[in-house]
Amino acid sequence: MELGILLEAGRRHPDDLMELALEADRRGVGVAVVRRSARHEDAGEPWSPWTIAAWIAARTERLRVGIVPAAAPGAAFGASTPAFAVTELRSVTTKAEQSLESLAPGRVLSSATAWVVAPPRPDAAGLRALAVRGIPILPVENAADLDRAVALAEQLRDVPSPPAPRSAESLAARVPGIDYDAVPASLAPTAVEPGDDAYASVSSTYLRGGAPGLVLRPQTVAEVVDAVAFAREHTGVALGIRSAGHGISGRSTNRGGLIIDVGGLDAIQIIDRRTRRVRLGPGATWQRVAQTLSPHGWALGSGDYGGVGVGGLATAGGIGLLSRKHGLTIDRLRAVELVLADGTPVRATETENSDLFWAVRGAGANFGIATAFEFEASEVGEVGWAQLSLVTDDLEASLRRFGQIAADAPRDTTVFLVTGRPREADQFVISLYGVVDDPDPDVVVDRLMPFTELGMLVRQHVVMTPYAGVMGNAAEVGPEGQHGFGEPVSRSAFLPSLTGEFARDAAELLRSGLVYFFELRTMGGAIADVSPHETAFSHRSPAFQVAAMSSSDDRLSARWRELGHHFDGLYLSFETDRSPERLDEAFPPPVLDRLRSLKRRYDPTNLFRDNFNIAPAAEDAPSVAADVASGSAA
Amino acid sequence: MTDYGHDLRFGAFITPTSQPANHAVDMAIAAEQAGLDLATFQDHPYQQSFLDTSTLLAFVASRTRRIHLAANVASLPLRPPLELARAAATLDVLSKGRFALGIGAGAFWDGIARMGGRTLTPGQGVDALREAIGLIRDSWANMDEPLTRDGAYYPVMNGQRGPRPAHPIPVWVGAYKPRMLTLTGALADGWLPTIEYVDGGRAGIAAGNARIDDSALRAGRSPRDVRRLMNFMRVGMSPAGRGLLQGTAREWTDQLTELALADGISAFIIGGDDPVLLQRFGQDVAPAVREAIERERLVPRHPTSSVPS
Repeated sequence: MELGILLEAGRRHPDDLMELALEADRRGVGVAVVRRSARHEDAGEPWSPWTIAAWIAARTERLRVGIVPAAAPGAAFGASTPAFAVTELRSVTTKAEQSLESLAPGRVLSSATAWVVAPPRPDAAGLRALAVRGIPILPVENAADLDRAVALAEQLRDVPSPPAPRSAESLAARVPGIDYDAVPASLAPTAVEPGDDAYASVSSTYLRGGAPGLVLRPQTVAEVVDAVAFAREHTGVALGIRSAGHGISGRSTNRGGLIIDVGGLDAIQIIDRRTRRVRLGPGATWQRVAQTLSPHGWALGSGDYGGVGVGGLATAGGIGLLSRKHGLTIDRLRAVELVLADGTPVRATETENSDLFWAVRGAGANFGIATAFEFEASEVGEVGWAQLSLVTDDLEASLRRFGQIAADAPRDTTVFLVTGRPREADQFVISLYGVVDDPDPDVVVDRLMPFTELGMLVRQHVVMTPYAGVMGNAAEVGPEGQHGFGEPVSRSAFLPSLTGEFARDAAELLRSGLVYFFELRTMGGAIADVSPHETAFSHRSPAFQVAAMSSSDDRLSARWRELGHHFDGLYLSFETDRSPERLDEAFPPPVLDRLRSLKRRYDPTNLFRDNFNIAPAAEDAPSVAADVASGSAA
Repeated sequence: MTDYGHDLRFGAFITPTSQPANHAVDMAIAAEQAGLDLATFQDHPYQQSFLDTSTLLAFVASRTRRIHLAANVASLPLRPPLELARAAATLDVLSKGRFALGIGAGAFWDGIARMGGRTLTPGQGVDALREAIGLIRDSWANMDEPLTRDGAYYPVMNGQRGPRPAHPIPVWVGAYKPRMLTLTGALADGWLPTIEYVDGGRAGIAAGNARIDDSALRAGRSPRDVRRLMNFMRVGMSPAGRGLLQGTAREWTDQLTELALADGISAFIIGGDDPVLLQRFGQDVAPAVREAIERERLVPRHPTSSVPS
């Protein structure tokens, strides 16, 4: 176990404190904590403990340095002295602590780390007893004190450390409504709460900032069952399910609620080469899936971004760059395993729990936590992968032409259009992302040629590549996690066809500058081969899915309402509006009725409710999870 | 034409970037090895990609031996004056008198508000700075009496003073606008602007100096009580360079000598974050400027205007 020394800024000259720290470091004491002396007789010398701690950290190589943050102006100032004259803001001291950690990596004891000041003249047994509360810190004022501390540290060196307790500060960061002590033993080692070092890395998702009360990170199906049991006891706080944290509408982070993060369930296995059957965990990313399937000459269509997780896409739809040739992602699904609200693990296929299998493919988030998916991969060789940028002065004409060319293209060609705010004088940059599923470069060029006439071509990047190269566009998420902040504002709609009127209205909306991201995903082809009754995702006939993102929810919603007559339904993955009518647009009445009756059967207490919630009973449909604050949602 | 007669200082304006974290420390050590007198760091706590400047100053001071250190300049709204005074004095004692207090009224109020700091109007910011400088200097002196000040921005009742710094810590103020220049002349030990932000650039220095001089005289001080420092952000050394601090070492020397003699600038602090440039600045430029100024002060070629005193 470890011991440290406590240096009191104020009692001794800072040079003496530094000498004591250097000596401790040389003699194998690993921790020095500096604090402002609380003694009244020190009032004349209020040295800055933070300055001394940083100075010591710079002079040593192994020593870990801690600092007791200054309290509000107390002993040294009259009560009417405002804090801002004397004490640094918490935001500033936090940044200072992070900065020292950057300068002396791994050597700063954050204030969340527990240490406990030892009484005068402690013995080894007393220190062992103290260690369950934190690292014992011995006050040291002179060489004799230091000798005693070094001797005790040597005696205790081989005694195993008790597990680190939580500091008062860490405990204070816990949020009400969550029983932290009840976290199942299977999940406790990997769970993350606000006082933990890893907290910042699990709070944000790709596009959303958050401050969850607790993140559970199950690694096995049994642990998912435990996590769901814990969630059943916490219906008073929001519950988000996270696979890779890319959701726009999926609330896989929240404020003060619970997150079940299945990112650890990320296995990718080939089950049967003959039938091209592959088994994917919900936490695997499509980039990794594509890389694994590529050597076999296979692929699974998967949206347009490799960083997205399997779970979110495979329970919603998956309109991607292979869709016109190979259908939606859910169209390749052959089996799914999930943990239901009551904790039962089930498997659903065409023949086994087939109604659940229907519901998961489009409304999966309402029915359970998927723990594995089995897909039938498609045979996909080298494809043409095009990224084109064009400048247009007549956006309306470009949109109209795109609508014709993209919808009339053979089904081996799937091209998406992205644009945003105008540059100047009504000039727009149009980005096209397209896949031509044909190994012949001449065919690829033929297919793409018409698209190059939508404006002045300013950038073209066209390569022949396995599908893994198309999905290779995502940056790996590092140990710092993702950095989304705030709340994304995104609206979605299906276009039965891209009419001249829609092109005109969309161009006008874009000219307003309100929308910074506007995307048309071309549908048709194999998507429309499937009957609308086949899956809970029933919008099989639209020509396009359109999505628009803005920084203003109210203004975008007002404009979206004006465009409503062009639309027929929406795709929930791109929709952040939580008004109840959005549910009716995502699921036409017969689909919604069927989903609701299945919800009553599989999740009667409405445990899974974070997004596009289908309440078991229509009359008490809550549109926002936070409304379910009274405990039970039933 | 004014030469205030201060000894010359040459320094570095170092970006406190956190990527990589050792950049600022390495640059400060490079500045010391180049023989420069001063390493300074801007202070923007709300800038995510920067390290905390107070922490960096202490860390760098501990890793260096000779070079002096200052924030360029500390953001008062996020640095409580009494904490600033204690940290400055503690660091001055630990570093054996190598600290200077660069301070400003605060810029980027949005960022300050995001951190939870108090938002002031520019006018209030000047008044708050005036109060803070008085408070900080009080804290460094008269250890035996409690500190009580009935300030509008920083009221203090029975405050603890101290500690006493190792040397009289100079207070350098970042000032551009008339009220700040007036405050600088009345209170500060130095004026620390950045040439790229001075109204009128090179030609605007004289107007700033004049306002500081007037204000100093009105406050019963000498204009010489205020050192004139200057940051130069856009600098480079090349045989083909055009403009201020863009050409050869020889051109740099002539330009800085001219600034010292004509505008009284006695401390030259350069940005660029380039250790090679710092080396040339310290080894080729600084000695040559010192020599030229020494010669000039013995046998003036410039008709220096006499400063009324």
